Amino acid sequence: MSSLVVQSGQRLRAGLVAEPAGFWALVVVVLYAAVAGGVWLGWWGGDWSALAGPGWAGPSADHWLGTNRLGQDILARALAATATAFEIGVLVALTTTAIGGLAGGLAGYSSPGWADEIVLWLMGTLDAIPFYLLVAALAFALHGHAWAMHLAMIATFWTTTARLVRAETQRIRRLPFIEAARVAGLRPRSIIVRHILPNTAHILLVQTTLVFIAAIKVEVVLSFLGIGTQDSISWGVMIAEGSQDILAGQYGNFVVASLFLFGLVMAFSLLADQLQDSLDPRTRDSRWQPHG
Amino acid sequence: MNDRRALLAFGLRKLVGAVPLVLGVTLISFTLTVHFGPDQTYALLGKNPTAAEVEQMRTQLGYDQPFLLRYADYLRRLATLDLGHAQATGEPVRAMLARTIPVSLLLLAPGFVLGTLLALFLAALAAWNRGSALDRVISAASVVGMSLSFVVILVGLQAVFGVWLGWFPVRGWNVAGVADYLHHVAVPTLAFIVATLGYNTRFFRAVLAAEMTSEQVRTARAFGIGPLRIMTVHVVGNSLLPIVTRILFSMPLLVISGSLLIESHFGIPGVGRITFAAVMSGDQPVLMAVVGLSAVLFVLAVTFADLLCRLFDPRLGRA
Amino acid sequence: MFIRQTRALICLLLLLAVACGSGPDEEAVYRHAIDGLPGSLDPAHAGDVYSSTLVVNIFDTLYRYRYLARPYELAPNLAADFPDVSEDGRVVTIRLGEARFADDPAFADGRGRPVTASDVVYSLRRHFDPATRSQGAWLWRDRIVGLDAWGLAGADPQADVAGLQALDDRTVRIELTRPYPQLVNTLAMALSAIVPPEAVAQYGREFSVRPVGSGPFRLLSLDESRAVLAPNPHFDRGTLDLAAEGFDPARHGHYGLEALDGRRYPFLDRLEVHFIAEPASRWNSFFSGRDVDNVMLPPDQAVRVLESTRPLSFRPGIERDFHTHVGQETGLVFYGFNMANPRIGYHEDPERDRANRALRCALRDAFDWDARNRVFYQGLGEVFPGVLPPFLTEHEPALATDSIEHDPAQGRRRLADHGWSTEALPELAYGFESSVERRQMFEQFRAQLGAIGYPPDKVRSAGFASFGEYHRAIINDQIDVFLIGWTLAYPDAQYVLQLFFGPNAAPGANLFNYANADFDAIFGRAESLPPGPERTELYRELNRLVIDDCVIIGSLTRTRLHLWQPRVRMLPDREVLGGFFLRFVGVQEPPA
Repeated sequence: MSSLVVQSGQRLRAGLVAEPAGFWALVVVVLYAAVAGGVWLGWWGGDWSALAGPGWAGPSADHWLGTNRLGQDILARALAATATAFEIGVLVALTTTAIGGLAGGLAGYSSPGWADEIVLWLMGTLDAIPFYLLVAALAFALHGHAWAMHLAMIATFWTTTARLVRAETQRIRRLPFIEAARVAGLRPRSIIVRHILPNTAHILLVQTTLVFIAAIKVEVVLSFLGIGTQDSISWGVMIAEGSQDILAGQYGNFVVASLFLFGLVMAFSLLADQLQDSLDPRTRDSRWQPHG
Repeated sequence: MNDRRALLAFGLRKLVGAVPLVLGVTLISFTLTVHFGPDQTYALLGKNPTAAEVEQMRTQLGYDQPFLLRYADYLRRLATLDLGHAQATGEPVRAMLARTIPVSLLLLAPGFVLGTLLALFLAALAAWNRGSALDRVISAASVVGMSLSFVVILVGLQAVFGVWLGWFPVRGWNVAGVADYLHHVAVPTLAFIVATLGYNTRFFRAVLAAEMTSEQVRTARAFGIGPLRIMTVHVVGNSLLPIVTRILFSMPLLVISGSLLIESHFGIPGVGRITFAAVMSGDQPVLMAVVGLSAVLFVLAVTFADLLCRLFDPRLGRA
Repeated sequence: MFIRQTRALICLLLLLAVACGSGPDEEAVYRHAIDGLPGSLDPAHAGDVYSSTLVVNIFDTLYRYRYLARPYELAPNLAADFPDVSEDGRVVTIRLGEARFADDPAFADGRGRPVTASDVVYSLRRHFDPATRSQGAWLWRDRIVGLDAWGLAGADPQADVAGLQALDDRTVRIELTRPYPQLVNTLAMALSAIVPPEAVAQYGREFSVRPVGSGPFRLLSLDESRAVLAPNPHFDRGTLDLAAEGFDPARHGHYGLEALDGRRYPFLDRLEVHFIAEPASRWNSFFSGRDVDNVMLPPDQAVRVLESTRPLSFRPGIERDFHTHVGQETGLVFYGFNMANPRIGYHEDPERDRANRALRCALRDAFDWDARNRVFYQGLGEVFPGVLPPFLTEHEPALATDSIEHDPAQGRRRLADHGWSTEALPELAYGFESSVERRQMFEQFRAQLGAIGYPPDKVRSAGFASFGEYHRAIINDQIDVFLIGWTLAYPDAQYVLQLFFGPNAAPGANLFNYANADFDAIFGRAESLPPGPERTELYRELNRLVIDDCVIIGSLTRTRLHLWQPRVRMLPDREVLGGFFLRFVGVQEPPA
């Protein structure tokens, strides 16, 4: 079973070398991660809320990308927002994968059975509520809570992961090595965690990247609607500000935030493609759903 | 005959099986909006209320009733299609829906139809010339399209068409005739197509490309049948199932979620806009009507898709 | 699949084209843009400017304000004349003029009947019926003899209210519990408009979207983007008398209003009111010339039409192509503190109480109104000390301005004098209604507090998605400092000073929970006085108390820039008047 993971890794490495787009995408993602890391370490972006200069100033030596209406440095805000994007993306993606993987594994392993029925029902229910409605209602319900938006996204995103893992689990559990584990007397929980989930690693990995992208894009929509990031800076907040600046003929804020966002999402999309091509070519392309 | 009866029974079984689903959807959304949602009391009160008036308003709104009672009452109303009145305006919810749903359909239909057709066309081009430069360009363009945020598209298009070019109205729904309609629907349609084209092209390309390798298509190619005929009859025809399923599934959610941003941004009086306003203000009658109905629509779409699958793919019936 | 969909769509389009072909072009149509959506068209809910704009045109109020006269002057509308007021100021008798409700199926034969005094009584009484969910009852609460008790006792439609009676078809008698000089002002508010009991009974809650009144217009259609109105054929209030409306050739001569003088109003065949909340859309809709005929510009866009802001002058092209009007809002924006919070407000320990006052004053010193005005209002706002805005006759131009000056040094001194260390400073919850601008105002506020050493991480933001939620949070003491906008519904300082009156404490309009016995006593005394120097002096004293106690940081009054198409003859000033001016709007006939 661990050979499967190793194999995946080798295929991935080979794929990245063979396909330059995937390689460059990885470079860009690493660059963005470095920017986020720098913000966390306090190297840059810490003064994103300071009124550093005159309002709506053009690019200058002091403010490389100019300032917004309050006189805040647009570059500092874009950099700080990169860290926010990673916080949201990583937190939502990892949690979603954990919940979706466990729920899907449990459902698939116990199918047909009551656990499967409950998970199916929950997934069907959550999927049947219009996406933005559910997220908005959840964000509202948890209002004032710093993680309201994250929880709302996790609550809606995990179902896709769970569905894929469930289907894969139903396939895997008929394989001989699971049969062997069962005969050896391993408890279902151990079988799921130790044997089934590692063999769905290719799905989980791809799904994690896709959720990461979706989370960043949805944050922009929610912040634009006024129910997203609170008391912090994000690209969504900047784009919402920028859409007002356009009234006064100021495009800096909007363009910078949009480009930062586009760059990361694009790089991550290409990376996700590469992952899918290398690890799980069968299901590529079918999981993309427009979210925002 | 027997087949048809089996199909009917299958459909009925699916619908009965959907009851817990509808219950789940309504329970979750009711809990969220009623238990945790915004409180309308202060939005409906005058500028200088007394504590007694606050209490009075809460009673009027039914906030002092126990949760289960309110939920049961809501289910009863939904079952009898008694949707009540909007709290804020007093307009009957049914009249609101009758007024707004056609607007949303008219607003989204062109983008949806054109977007799907365009995506199919591009996907067919790419799949036919698989691996060629054209395929790579189309694939790359899809990734770019998928990486654009819907918000950025909306704001950008509004800036370009409204501020720079001034060709089309960028808000409102002042429709009195075909010319007006085309005028108002232009920018939202464009936004919708730009936002979904990447996703759809990519999906359709994958489906069609898989079909291109099938025995039937290879035979048809060997016999020298024209590309248009192969593409429309054999490739698209044979991949109709996943294509139609995707379209079916996206429809009920599209009407609400897809129209929400467009309608809010362009000030169009459609169902997405009233729904979002209801979420923000806590107008429960409107909200619960929309959620309840969209859940029912969703279940119907799922059931219909299952039926189609069974019709087109009898193997599933035996499994 | 697609073919069928496309065919259905084409059919739908054809149907639409046939069903709603465009109307004749010769109609006098005016398309008015407002910046928000009316909640309800029932006068009892018309507490906001958007609802009022429509309500005063569909319904009648007893009084109104003269179209062009400034300062604002009351005038009879449905009432035949100003009321007779008894010697002690407690009995008010109002004679009605002639008016007729618009035709509607709610009436016996579908034809609108004359408006009577009992309709007036009914319309005021229903505010006190809990089923109405009135937003206006507070205007007359505890003011009219027997009215509150009638509502509490179940609002029996048969029962009499001693203080509110129809003496005959044309006469209404109101008996007040104490003199209420602002009563006539309240009877010019949309909330007091006259409704027919038949229609309220027939339409129930739907009355708010199917309004029936005796105003100059009747509603043809309504949705989230616009309302369409047509003249009410029964409406006849004679002709427009420009001189009586306060016409001044020097100020109004270039608007082309003279052509309307002496003609019977309303002048329009069709009035469209478009609800456009998004500033960009309002701008586009106006400048494309396609959708609406007027625009009220937000400050951000002002820079694009102005040559200079001080003195204010428009660009030549704008002056050439459009009519313009610059006016001040009859309202103000300011920050308030929650005085009920012992960490920054009142405290039982007198020393801490004084320290808290010093803290609030220091916050006031730290705040920079000039920067606020420059960044968010393009310097077009007017900053003044206290809460009596410049348009009021009670405004005190000579008042000391230290309460609106940015003086961080003084703020630091105040904190040091009262022993405030950085660690001791309390965490502040800053509330706002979620929007880009409000959020940026928060960031500006927080950054400015840095000037007196207030740590940014001690200023926490709490954004709320709706005004109702924001309001609730303020009332429930979840917020320490909040921005508030207050528009005066009538030109009397009492309307703004009541915000600080002790008995109005939360959940009432006194959101600051300001409790000053001196203030309450003077306010009580001033309230029943008629306008005059004595009352003005008391009002000014109240204003100074609010400033001295550091209850607020303020204030600023905004400048309104109006632009409209020259073919429209009007002065679209919505302050105080709400939508009253729309009945006087005329459109130039297109050249034959």
